[in-house]
Order: sequence, then structure tokens, then C-alpha cells
Amino acid sequence: MAATTKTSNRQLAWVYDLNKCIGCQTCSVACKVLWTRDEGEKHQWWMSVNTMPGLGTPKAWEEMGGGVDPVTGKPRPGHQPTRDEFGGGFDFNYHEVFYGGSGGKAHLEPQAPRENRWAMNWDEDQGAGEWPNSYYFYLPRQCNHCTNPVCLTACPTGALSKEDNGLVLRDEEVCMGDRFCMEACPYKKVYFNYDRHVGQQCIGCFPRIEAGVAPACVRQCPGRAVFIGYLDDETSSVHRLVKEWKIALPLHAEAGTGPNVFYVPPLAPNRLNDDMSIDYDTPRIPPEYLESLFGPGVHSALDLLKSEMDSVRAGGKSEMLSTLIAYKWQELLGPFTVDPATLTPNGNTGA
Amino acid sequence: MKIAKLAGKLADPASAEWGSVEAAQVSLGPVSLESQPTEYIRETWKGRKYGQTAQAAVKAASDGDRLYLRIEWADDAAPNKEFQDAAGALFPADGDGNLATLGAADKPLALWYWEEGRGSLNLVSRGPGVVTKDGNAGVGANGVLANGRWSVVISGPAAMAAKGKVGLAVWNGSNEERAGLAAVSQQWLPLESD
Repeated sequence: MAATTKTSNRQLAWVYDLNKCIGCQTCSVACKVLWTRDEGEKHQWWMSVNTMPGLGTPKAWEEMGGGVDPVTGKPRPGHQPTRDEFGGGFDFNYHEVFYGGSGGKAHLEPQAPRENRWAMNWDEDQGAGEWPNSYYFYLPRQCNHCTNPVCLTACPTGALSKEDNGLVLRDEEVCMGDRFCMEACPYKKVYFNYDRHVGQQCIGCFPRIEAGVAPACVRQCPGRAVFIGYLDDETSSVHRLVKEWKIALPLHAEAGTGPNVFYVPPLAPNRLNDDMSIDYDTPRIPPEYLESLFGPGVHSALDLLKSEMDSVRAGGKSEMLSTLIAYKWQELLGPFTVDPATLTPNGNTGA
Repeated sequence: MKIAKLAGKLADPASAEWGSVEAAQVSLGPVSLESQPTEYIRETWKGRKYGQTAQAAVKAASDGDRLYLRIEWADDAAPNKEFQDAAGALFPADGDGNLATLGAADKPLALWYWEEGRGSLNLVSRGPGVVTKDGNAGVGANGVLANGRWSVVISGPAAMAAKGKVGLAVWNGSNEERAGLAAVSQQWLPLESD
């Protein structure tokens, strides 16, 4: 029954530069205020940023299965993340603190059982490693709008579609809330609306895309760390970073779904020896950990980044670094450079 | 199964009126794995039991305006926070239909559906879990769980009785059953007006 309406090979893609992401959650909040403020959406963060290494959101999502078996090509069973595993969406004791006359002794806290508490960014900045060699980095995550969307093929009602621009969208009128999509998704980026009984996920800000406006996560990033564009557009930054320079890599590509969100992997300072001298041979983030996330291509990607940096330090020029630095910030936006302030309520630009 | 002519609070499964209506015992069995509509469902439920609700008791009554079906079955499993128990009454939308697969693309079934905490839906079923919403069409349902047994009354327009037969389906939420992962009655139950 699963259906696709795709008649084009175009594919929208995002690139997040993890060396520029500062974990400020502006993308998360930009998405939240735009799309998930209605009933049943309190716990939904279609865009989220987590500290890595970490358990992330939903809690321990990397252990929840889904995706495609690399040997048999068949769908792998997955766990449907529960409301508690997503956590968040708390009610707080605002009344007690602000109006109950006990503001001096009560403090704001979630009204959820303490043992069940988890939320979108719960393990922020915990990371891993021992001082002075502790380390962490930020990992922004959204729906990967996969080339092989297992959410779509798992759905019995045909609620999901692969659009001509590559976005994976859901018809909430057709969705029956069966949640096989949540099980099948290896990234656990489908949420369930318990009030309206439908699945929901990142829609790639498609009404903005259609009006030539970049998605909120891209447009609002203060670090200029996110790029969007069509992968087949050879002039686009995403094409050059992913296809030409191969320094932007998919997350957990071994899940076999062909994700279209890519990451420039994080460089790290060198380790410190016990006497606090610098160990120039050992990066503080273990390369094998990065390989477990971004695959074996992560080593050559980091080597290339380092050699480009060396070249610039020696007085040379690097088109790659200029792209990553985003001197021309509109290049982050691909073809979606229309100012969102020109959008009118019916979705057209007033310009 | 005779449709009893009754008046009173028939929408309430605990209503005394139902005491006078004779129940038909219906055998149920799982909707086959092979007929499930997606490879994901077939692969992940291979070797996993579902549709184990083997027996249900059903009563039918009408007050002239509405057809009421009271379905009762044993369910003593612990509740599941994510998936709820559900039941449905199926009718051939177009003369006949394959009850064992909850309908087919070219032979849809009408499905009056009840789910705990969600209420009722009027659906068209074109295969296991291959359903679409079909407006409200006056379908309603109430369920009561007592002593390890669900009693659910599903009701809709009395005209549906003219279809002449009804099938039943039960989903055990404790076992994460939803969509086509159901127990379905093994054969159509004739509906005869009293």
C-alpha cells in the first residue's frame, strides 16, 4: 500500500558543520515555535541538538534498531520510542513559585516523577573522557528525508510520500497512528501525537521551500553552521561538501536508508599527557568513535580539513574553508534566499 | 444472529436491556502474516504471536434508528501505555468481501471501529490495516472493562443491517496489536432482523 509520488531525482540535503555548531539550540527553538506548538506536540522537537557522546533523544536512540539489514536488504525490527523515552513536555510548578506565596523556598521543577525525567537536551555537555582529556561536540538532528525511506515503506495506510524535491512528507489525514514508521526509522525522528493520534516529523519547512525561503533551522542558525541545497546542483555548497570534497558525511549510513542530512565531522584538540605536555599524535575525540557515527570516510575527511587549514595557515587559499566559513552567508541557503519577512499569511512572498 | 428489537440505553454495554438478548459465540483467529501489507510488518512479526483472542460473544439489537452490536471478550493482560485495546464490526461494502484479510483493494469492507481512549471511527478497510477514514456517519462506541472482560457496544445507522452479515475483529493493545495485526472472526455472521 505504501506509495510514493516522486517523479524527479532531485534531493534536498542539509549539511551541518559540527566545527561551527555551538549547541545554542536556536535551530531547535526556531523549528519549535514554527511547527510544534499545538496540542499533543509539547514533547516534539523535530529539530534537536544533543551533546555527543550521549544518549540523546529519544533516550538511547542509537540502540533502538530499525533501518535495513545490510546483508539481507530486509527491514530490521525497531523499537517504537515511548513517551517517557522522548521525555520533556513537562508541566512546571509556575503557580507555586510565582503566585503561591512560597517563591522564597519553592523552586521551578518539572512535575514529572523524578526517576522518569528525560528530555530533548537532558545530557547536555556531559560528553565523555576524563579530565584533562574530556571531550564532547554537538550533533544537530532532524528527519533525514532518506532516499530509501523505511518509514514510508513500513506504513500500511500509505500516509507518507517522497516528494519531487526529496522531502518525505506525511498526510496526517491518512495516517492512522499505527507507528510502524517510528519503529522502522533508525534515527528515531518520528514523533507520536497522543492527542491527535498521528505520527509527526520534520516537514523540511516545505511551505517555506515552495516560497523560496530556507527552512527555519538553516535561516536562524547564528553560527552559520547549516547549509541547504539540492544535491545534484553542482554549484551548491551541499553538492561540493558532500559529493566533490566528501567532507560532509551521513550519520549512521550503515542503517541503509540513504540519509540526506550530512555532517562535517568535528576536529578536536590533541590529548594532554599526564605531565600536561601535548600528545600531538592523539586527537582527543577517539577516531573510532567518530567512525562509529560517520563511517570510515571520517578519517580522510578530517585529514583533508586539516591539510586545508595548514595550507591557509601557510598563506594559501582554500575554497573549501571559504565555503565552510560562509563569508557569503547567502550561500548557506542554496536557492532559498527569499527573506522570510516577505512571506504573507497565505504563503506567498509580498515582494 | 437475530437483531433484537429493543428500546433503552443500548449504547451502554452495562445496560440491563442487553440481558434479554441471546449471544452468539464467535471464533476468532489471527489475520494471516502473509496478507499483511508491508514487508516491515511481515518481517518484524514473523515468529511473534498476535490475534490470540480466540472467542468473543456478540449480541445485536436495534431501536429502529440504530444498529447496536455488543461484543464481549476476555482480556486480562496488563495494559500497554502506547497501544490500546480495540474492536471492530465489519460489513461488506459491496455485497461480499474477504473477511479474513479485512477486505481487499477492490472489495472494501465498512469498519465500525472502537479503541480504548480514542472512541469510535467510521473506516473503510481495504486489507489488513489498509484503512481510510470515512467521515463520522453516525458511528459511536462505548467500552467497559470489568473482571478481565471487555464489553463494547459499537453502533451506527440501522440501514447497515441490510448488508445481512457482520464480522468482528479484536486488537490486543497489550501485545502492540494495531492495523492488520488483529484477531478476526473466522466467518461472516448472518444478521437477521427480528
